[in-house]
Parts: sequence; structure tokens; C-alpha cells
Amino acid sequence: MDAFEQNQAKLFERLLQPHMPRLFRFAYRLTHSRPEAEDLFQDVLTRLYTRLDELAALRDPGPWLNRVLYNQFIDNQRRYARRRLVDVDEGQLVGESIESLPDPRPDTDEGNFDALQSALSKLSDEHRTVVLLHDAEGYKLEEIQDITGTPLGTIKSRLHRARARLREILEAEGTI
Amino acid sequence: MNCESLTARIDDIIDDRLAADERSAVNAHVAGCDACAAAVARARSLKAGLASFGAQDVPMPDDAFFTAAVAKASVAGAKDTRRRYWLKGFGSAVAAALALFAVTLVLLQPETPADAPAGIPAITMSLEEARTVNLVFASAGDLADASFTVLLPDGVYLEGFEGQQEITWLTSLTEGKNVLPLRLIATTPAGGELLATLRHADDDKVFKLRVNIS
Repeated sequence: MDAFEQNQAKLFERLLQPHMPRLFRFAYRLTHSRPEAEDLFQDVLTRLYTRLDELAALRDPGPWLNRVLYNQFIDNQRRYARRRLVDVDEGQLVGESIESLPDPRPDTDEGNFDALQSALSKLSDEHRTVVLLHDAEGYKLEEIQDITGTPLGTIKSRLHRARARLREILEAEGTI
Repeated sequence: MNCESLTARIDDIIDDRLAADERSAVNAHVAGCDACAAAVARARSLKAGLASFGAQDVPMPDDAFFTAAVAKASVAGAKDTRRRYWLKGFGSAVAAALALFAVTLVLLQPETPADAPAGIPAITMSLEEARTVNLVFASAGDLADASFTVLLPDGVYLEGFEGQQEITWLTSLTEGKNVLPLRLIATTPAGGELLATLRHADDDKVFKLRVNIS
């Protein structure tokens, strides 16, 4: 890297730093997988670097960053749709065993946490994404519309159906 | 307000999107309807549960990950920017659609193993070792606003574009030879066919390159 590129890299880091945790959370909400979220996050950062001028011109880049990430996610889904169907053989996985990692869940909520996670997994991708962005991440309906380009009525409908389905599942299990 | 209309507005109730008069009507109904009171309570409980869930279930990476991600993006992004400028340097004349089909692809230093399909140029590269392949496009005329897409075989990636099997650039070609260097790295021994598509307006031309891994 020459001096100009080093300055650009510093500017890039400074502009992006405050937004990275939330951007990663959004990536995880879309992919539901830590490795895929990391890949998506990296793809987006690489793409963003080439749009540094646009990034630097924004007063509040948060919504724009989310939109870029969402568009990258959609692109990746179209491009890699077939590759994601490959089964993973657990015997081939290497690294730290899952049991040795700390459990992020408080003991008292363990049952509810599992029940909620299980119920969420039964929703469609579209419904799960909307309900998690709105209720778990605190995005407003209009922000979700802005990010995804989906009509507001459709987002409201998905949120309503997702919540109704979750209540139905959790009530049947006696969790709520 | 009745039970049916309350159920239809339950999202607006728990998200606090009701006008004052609507809120009064809901409160009045809930005060006299145990079933609706319980339904609203369950909906609020679920929303609170999801908020709590959201705070706990994302396995956030540490600061080192973010630092490394920014550094990697800066290096890859700088390369990509240089490549874009370089490609723009190909030329910027007015396009001639018919000229696209006069474009030919040749490889610098081509190799053609005995088992290669007839007519398809081939290269042999080593595993995990970067290899620069120079694609040379001999164009019969200037082509502006063309797009160039590389579709890589599984297990082969373009340096700076890890994880991407398909990469597209906008470019222009000038009459004569235009060289596009691609730095390839193989991560698996499978090899396969690399497809390079040059597209302009509604016309396109696909070139194939056999990639063998030793």
C-alpha cells in the first residue's frame, strides 16, 4: 500500500468503527450462522472500501450500511444458493468442541431461550428476519422497509404472521 | 371494540401505535374481557422475550476479528480499486457491437495437456500457490461499457476475492490486444473450467479455460 492508500484505509476504519458491531449483528440475523455472518461481513467491508467516497459523504451511514449489507446478502443467496445445500459431516469438523465454549445463556432463562429458538427455526426466512429485526434488534418498520426495499404493508403482514405463529407454537408447548 | 377487532390490532397495541381514542377503546375492552387481556399479555411477553433473546443469542466476534476484517477489506479494496482504474484504462471509444464477436481469447504461455478437451486452452497450477494467468483479448474494434465476468471452478479463487466464485467488472476494450491478468489460487485439487464472459449490449461471448491442479 502506498501513502495514499494507507490514509484511505485509516479513514475507512474510522468511519466504519462505530457501526461494525451492529452491522455484524445484522449479518447474523440474516444468515443465522456465525461463519456465514463473518463471510458476509467481510464481503461487505471489501465492497464498502471501494465506495469510500459515498461512505464519507453520509452524515448517518447506519441505514445505508445496512442496505448495502442486505443487498450483498441477497446477491450471495442467489449466487451461492446451490452451494449452501451441501451437507456437513460433523466428523470432518475440526477445532474447539462446542461443549468447551461458554454458554451465553443465563441459566434461569434456558428453557425459554431454547423454546424461542426452536419456535423461530420453524418460521420462514422472511418471517424470522422481520420479527428478529423488529423485536430483537429494535429496528422500526420504516427502517426495515428502507433496508430491504420491501413494501411497508408486506413487512407489517410478515411481522403479524410471525408473531402469531410464534405465540401459537409457544402456547402449544405451554411456554407462554 | 370487540375481540375480533382487538386481535386484528394486537401488533399496534403492543408496539404502541394506537391513537389516544383507540387506546381508550382497547383499555375499556380489555378491562372486561379476560381472554383479550390474556392475549395482550402473551403478545407483550413474547415481544419482551424476543428483545431479551436478541441481547443474548448473537455470538459476537472479538475486537481482533473486526480489526482483521477492516485490514483485509482495505487490502482487497485497494487492489480492487487499482484493478478498476486499470480496466478503465483499456480505452473509452464508442462501442461497435459487431466487433464483440471478433474478440478472441488467447493465453500467454498456454499449456495443453494430453487429456484436455480439444480447442480449450489449459493451465496447470499447484495447490495453494498463486498463479497469474494473463487473458489476452484481441478485439477487432473499440468496445466501451462492456462487462467481463469470471466464473471460477469450485476450489479456485481470485486473489483478493476470496469466497467469490463469480466476479464481474465493467470495462472497455480498445482495438488490438487487451491483457487482463488474473491471479488464481487453488484450495482443492479438483480443478475445472473457468468461464470468462465478455458481454456488451445484448451480445456476449464465452471463453473457456481448463484449470488443472497438480
